[in-house]
Amino acid sequence: MSLLDTSPAGAAPLPRKERRTASALLIFAIIFAGGSLILACFGEMIVPFDPVDSAFIPNMPPPPLRDWPGLLWVAITSTSPEPIHWFGTDSSGFDVFSRVLCAPRIDLTIALAANFLAMLIGIPFGLVAGYFTNPATEFMMRVSDVIQSFPVFISAMILVALGGQSAINVIMALSLLYAPIYVRLTRSEAMAQKSRGMVEASRAIGQSELRIALQHVLPNSIGPSLVQSSVTIGFAILLTAGLSFVGAGVRPPDPEWGLMISTGANDIVLGQWWTSVFPGVAISLTVFSFAVIGDALQRRYDR
Amino acid sequence: MIRRFVLKRLLTGALQMLGLTLAVFFLVRMLPADPVSRLVGLNASPEAYKQAQRSLGLDEPVMTQLLNYLGIGSDSGLLQGDLDVSWVTNAPVLAEIGASLPITLELLTYSFAVTLLFAVPVGVASAANPGKAVDKFVFFYGLFGGSQPEFWWGLLFVLIFFANLGIAPAPLGMISPLLQAPPRVTGFYTLDALIAGDFRAFFDILHHLMLPVLTMVFVLSGPVIKMVRQSMIRAQASDFVLYANAAGLRRKTVTRYAMRAAIAPTITLVGILYGVMLGGAVLVESVFSLGGIGQYAVRSVLAFDYPSIQGIVLVITAISLLIYLLLDILYAIIDPRVVYT
Repeated sequence: MSLLDTSPAGAAPLPRKERRTASALLIFAIIFAGGSLILACFGEMIVPFDPVDSAFIPNMPPPPLRDWPGLLWVAITSTSPEPIHWFGTDSSGFDVFSRVLCAPRIDLTIALAANFLAMLIGIPFGLVAGYFTNPATEFMMRVSDVIQSFPVFISAMILVALGGQSAINVIMALSLLYAPIYVRLTRSEAMAQKSRGMVEASRAIGQSELRIALQHVLPNSIGPSLVQSSVTIGFAILLTAGLSFVGAGVRPPDPEWGLMISTGANDIVLGQWWTSVFPGVAISLTVFSFAVIGDALQRRYDR
Repeated sequence: MIRRFVLKRLLTGALQMLGLTLAVFFLVRMLPADPVSRLVGLNASPEAYKQAQRSLGLDEPVMTQLLNYLGIGSDSGLLQGDLDVSWVTNAPVLAEIGASLPITLELLTYSFAVTLLFAVPVGVASAANPGKAVDKFVFFYGLFGGSQPEFWWGLLFVLIFFANLGIAPAPLGMISPLLQAPPRVTGFYTLDALIAGDFRAFFDILHHLMLPVLTMVFVLSGPVIKMVRQSMIRAQASDFVLYANAAGLRRKTVTRYAMRAAIAPTITLVGILYGVMLGGAVLVESVFSLGGIGQYAVRSVLAFDYPSIQGIVLVITAISLLIYLLLDILYAIIDPRVVYT
């Protein structure tokens, strides 16, 4: 089926006012995403408690909000004999605050590594499939189609649960499932680049096909993939958390947002909200930040 | 012409399904999971292990297993419409899917209906008032709703509406344990309750579906509203709207014309999302213990139940392929500019 172009590419340009809200939002998103990246590197050094060491006071609620200014003062002047459980403790007595701040180490590492691997697999395949059209690359595209027709969450569950529940396997599974996105993006771009004058010119001066593909077509075909990557990282975080939520991802007691929500789910019916609400807010805002950045990139570079 | 198009699509679909069957079949056997020891336990004697392996058919060469599964050279298999029996429950996989799939379809159908009821007016209003408050809300929500952990929002709704306000039932299934489930006719709980004329059960089921549907609508509305808005803006900028305006037609009439053009891409998106959510509703089903096909998938995957896993992937993919075909046909009915090739 083909469409007689009923879908011009790109969204309509934003009205002036909306652009201002968009940029305020973008600044928030960049700060938040950057903050989570910093936490992924240094989170474990700055938290008050060991994220996997029990404080022996299970199910302790966080201090009431009106006490926070006083407690903050105590914490800053460090006159407190004991660090404070800002977000309370969970049913194992782990400090929720420390675990929420340590989780980017796992969640973001998985998401970034999976996205990077997916690009590493997808972009070369897409380049070859777009630049050289022959039965071999046709077959590659069919394989990519089959992978893309898998139900994503269930396939990820199968790959991780049957492959062994570890962070490495989550990365492998996600990169395999996300690679076809980059194959498609790079391929369609490479096909468009193929007929440009510079390619013909390089061929005329006798450059090899491989060199043309790598030196001229690749740099011009990579843009859409880079724009896409921010969105994919966000989805990878959601998928990682979802997998551990159903028990098919990383294993407890690792500090991981989905796992924390999963253990906190049982407490919610009892009204103990803090064990699942805080990690949820963290995922929600982090993924939202990556979505905002992705959207801004798309507006900037997709014309 | 349309018949040839449908036949061609069904044929390529069948080929795709075959490729998928082979891929899943070899994939689960290539991964380093040991279903036998998961079934008999780690402390089982070597004899018990051997026997379980034989009863699952895992002692045979892989090609023999494949031929048995496909039903080539044996009397029942995939080609005869038999999806084998579950290793955990010993029930036929087809029957287990038949019990769980309608629940997921029911959840999704209600969720998408509510999503459209909410998203279309908001999206149209946003496109009609660029830069106004409603447009800003749509811009924000389109990004926000589409990037949220739905399982966490489900829990949050449970916390608010069940634990705090007490106006929603406990997240423990489709119907209150005190009521009897309506006799099974279609497998769809609400339909079955209506067929049985049991209105108490009917309203109880709707009550139980309230929060799961709210959760789904919350995350699905984001992309749908965004799509409605974009398609409306695109339609309003098109020549036929310009002409209609120039001809002095009433604003209402012009909006109706534009909406007709904008609805086609929206329906496509909803169809694709429906296909995606067949396997993606897992998390919401788990939060509310609905017992749909997603939860069946979680159970089967964690138990290394190969026949169930294979059956679930096949059925979900087959349904999504059918939805895509229906979409393309529907698209041609809505938009006369579409040409089949």
